[in-house]
Amino acid sequence: MTDTGAVRRPARARRRSLPPVLGVAAIWLFLLLFLVYPLLRIFYDAFSDEAGRLTLANFVEFARDPFYVRSLVNSLVLGLGTVAATSIVGFAVAFLLVRCDFIGRNLFSYLTLIPIISPPLVGVLGFTFIMGRAGTVNVLLDDWFGLAKPINFVYGIHGVLLVETLHLFPMITLNVVDALAKIDPALEEAAESVGARGLTKWRTITLPLTTPGYVAGALLVFIWTFSDFATPLVLGVHDLLAAQAYLNIVQFVDRRIFRMGIVISALMVALAIVFLVAARRYVAIKDYSSLSYGRLARVRLSPLRQSAAVAFLTLVMLLSFIPYLGVVLASVGKGWSLTPVPVRYTLQYFERVIVETPKYIVNSLLYAGLAVVLCIVVGVPIAWILARTRLAGRDALDGLNTLTLAVPGTAIGIAYVRAFHFDLPWLQYGLTSFWVVLPLVLAIRRLPYTVRGSYASLLLVHRSMEDAAASVGATGGRAFRDITLPLIWRGVLVGSLFSFMTSLQEASAVLFLSLGGWETITVGIFSFYIAGSANEAAALGVILIVVATLSLVLINRIAGARMGGMFG
Amino acid sequence: MKRLGVLALAVLSVAGAAGGASAQAPIESELALITPVSKFIHDAALKAFADYAKERWGVAVKVSAIPAGTPVAYGRVVEWKGRPEVDIFWGGESALFEKLAEQRLLAKLELAAELWDSIPASLGKPRPIPLKDKDGFWVGTALEPYGLVYHPKKLQRLGVPELREWDDLLHPKLRGEVAQCAPTRSSSSNATYEVILSMLGEEKGWDWLKKLAQNTGHFTARSRDVPTVVAKGEYAAGFAVPSYMAFEEKLAGFDLKFVAPRNAFVTPEPMAILAGARNPRAARAFIEFLLTERGQKVFMERGLFPITPKYKVQGAPGSTAEMAVEFTGGVRSYFAGDVSNVYDEAAAQKRSDGLKTKFRSEIEAVWKKP
Repeated sequence: MTDTGAVRRPARARRRSLPPVLGVAAIWLFLLLFLVYPLLRIFYDAFSDEAGRLTLANFVEFARDPFYVRSLVNSLVLGLGTVAATSIVGFAVAFLLVRCDFIGRNLFSYLTLIPIISPPLVGVLGFTFIMGRAGTVNVLLDDWFGLAKPINFVYGIHGVLLVETLHLFPMITLNVVDALAKIDPALEEAAESVGARGLTKWRTITLPLTTPGYVAGALLVFIWTFSDFATPLVLGVHDLLAAQAYLNIVQFVDRRIFRMGIVISALMVALAIVFLVAARRYVAIKDYSSLSYGRLARVRLSPLRQSAAVAFLTLVMLLSFIPYLGVVLASVGKGWSLTPVPVRYTLQYFERVIVETPKYIVNSLLYAGLAVVLCIVVGVPIAWILARTRLAGRDALDGLNTLTLAVPGTAIGIAYVRAFHFDLPWLQYGLTSFWVVLPLVLAIRRLPYTVRGSYASLLLVHRSMEDAAASVGATGGRAFRDITLPLIWRGVLVGSLFSFMTSLQEASAVLFLSLGGWETITVGIFSFYIAGSANEAAALGVILIVVATLSLVLINRIAGARMGGMFG
Repeated sequence: MKRLGVLALAVLSVAGAAGGASAQAPIESELALITPVSKFIHDAALKAFADYAKERWGVAVKVSAIPAGTPVAYGRVVEWKGRPEVDIFWGGESALFEKLAEQRLLAKLELAAELWDSIPASLGKPRPIPLKDKDGFWVGTALEPYGLVYHPKKLQRLGVPELREWDDLLHPKLRGEVAQCAPTRSSSSNATYEVILSMLGEEKGWDWLKKLAQNTGHFTARSRDVPTVVAKGEYAAGFAVPSYMAFEEKLAGFDLKFVAPRNAFVTPEPMAILAGARNPRAARAFIEFLLTERGQKVFMERGLFPITPKYKVQGAPGSTAEMAVEFTGGVRSYFAGDVSNVYDEAAAQKRSDGLKTKFRSEIEAVWKKP
């Protein structure tokens, strides 16, 4: 449907000069060098022994080790469980926000975005501060009801499920909101005019049209949960693949266990690809939707239903704000133990991370900024190739771009360590000895957001507009500058801001690559936490939350309802 | 694209050039180390040295550290293959330093004789703990016992008496209340498992460790997390915790206590200069500084003990040094009385792989949260 009315102009495709060819080659080189090669490298590591001979022995060892097999099963169960739980919550929230009208709807649609910016590691720490064995809730239960044996809300796989669900349900919500908003009301009216009401309408029109968006969100939730090692480790759960990959790799001494860490990373990448391919069978039907965001008729709820809706949303928000409450209290509380809230307060932790060592903030902004520049330089042309050309290898480009979303951060960090630790010609050190490796890995990780944002905008710019410009003599660059650019900058900007925000949040990939002096906020969070200073980690977490919230507000201002398209 | 490539190259070459400046100053203006010794200690030591270098030579030394667990730190030093990213490796078991020296990855220290000689060759009976390398590749910097931490208020609520000995951890009321880190991930835990096995013998030792696992409510991801979860009150007691890590929590305002039971492992926190280090003179100056009274004070005020009999942990009433003495049960120096030690470096190295395999199969694989 997207191509209706577009006049095919084969002449344009044939008019290729040298610079575009070079540009395309440069993009491919970039992707091959910084994405494909490192991934191939860990697969090579996984399929070879210490002497470099090809072998399947590592996988045999994995399959024979009951602990690893249990980790694999647990990871799959946890991933699917989180998808199920986030789907229920995420769908319900999305439906209420898009289709119903009630008091505070706008406020809730803002608040729904907040859980997603929960910073790595400190989010779950904040959760334990409130819900842990000595957390606020258990202390209050003890104080009020004399409950001496604390209730275990968080330590265990159920805790991981809880934390991930409250963190990730907005991914489902955003995607479903986006899809629901795109459904042309005319379609539903048409359905109703032929007598399809209620469930039938829902089953035949609404559900199929929201499926692609939902599947994309579900895939991201799955991969995120599947590759998160920080949350389970804080909650004392080690029998998961990501946790095993991390733990095996951060110990270097035992080469056998180290190699198993790489094997597990490779396995995670392979599984992620399998799920991605499976999900794309659904996402392929995306083009049913109309490109315009139709004006929606919202159902005004009865007072009773309104209060039920508000109560439900309030409960969800309260629960998903627990980590923030915990982080904020920990960032200013001193010696907080076995009391509902801290007894003594201080600003010393903020002072330490802002005044004494501003490098975390400076580095974060620098690397994320450079990463975004790279994202734009590489990503906008990719989006243009995907949307406007029939170049050979287009599908492969699209596939690679989507693959990046699925590759676990841990795996790509490890892949870079393995792939780039050789001396560069004329330099005495490898790429891993220079801090540019951090913006590079961030750019690769976040490229899909820029590409998606730009691609979506390019689709909205009808080809006929460019053709009209061409018909009055504005060709090539001129048409792009005068017509296309003014129309797509918004999409590019939103995609880039999203790349920026998520680059700030990135922990797993940079953790393995960071050297002394290069620490970002997230690396700082990890190193303070590892050094036992949860308070400083929390203070950095609060800073990250503030920066990310500002980016989100900005994105929301510019993009409005189009947010969800970013994740798909 | 092209312009970006040029930019990237320019950035790379600037970053490369910054490393090799200033040949004639008494010490280089940079110093980097990799260490499992926590930020609390290494930050303070680096800062004290930077101040000292400024006063003594007028050189503003840019100091930095890569914090990493002992195995990771060791692994990275090996991976650097003699062209290290840092100058100094600090902390962990001395056996690892000897392994590095064998691989020719360490440079000879060649410290001033008076400092070198002020450190006794070893400490403890029946097994002596080496405090410096006979071949001169590493030197101890401070003494540090690995003991138990506990939350007094939490123990009181549970009706468990304050901990004194290893066996106190097996109290039935502590079921699910002990935190520890797996010996596969933590060298302090590994060393303490080794102490238990040396003390009780292989068979009884493993029985004891399995009983401890039954009381364990949380295997933390890192050894440093053990005192953290105890300080917060999430768990009542922690196993195999270096004294300074516990003291750091105390200084942070938490109410917890430390005890080093009989035969607790004591490490000299070895330090070595890496072969091929970019800043060898600054590295040597740093080590020499740490062995002076001013340097040792950095440790003595943070829950560690002097490496030489020349000094004792002492301060004005109410000072952090006195607080540390009280916190660690009144100890001022490990050279004042007899130190009992059963940990044997050679035996530990021999048992190391077996210990980890056995832990994985007989404790980690079957452990269920009580």
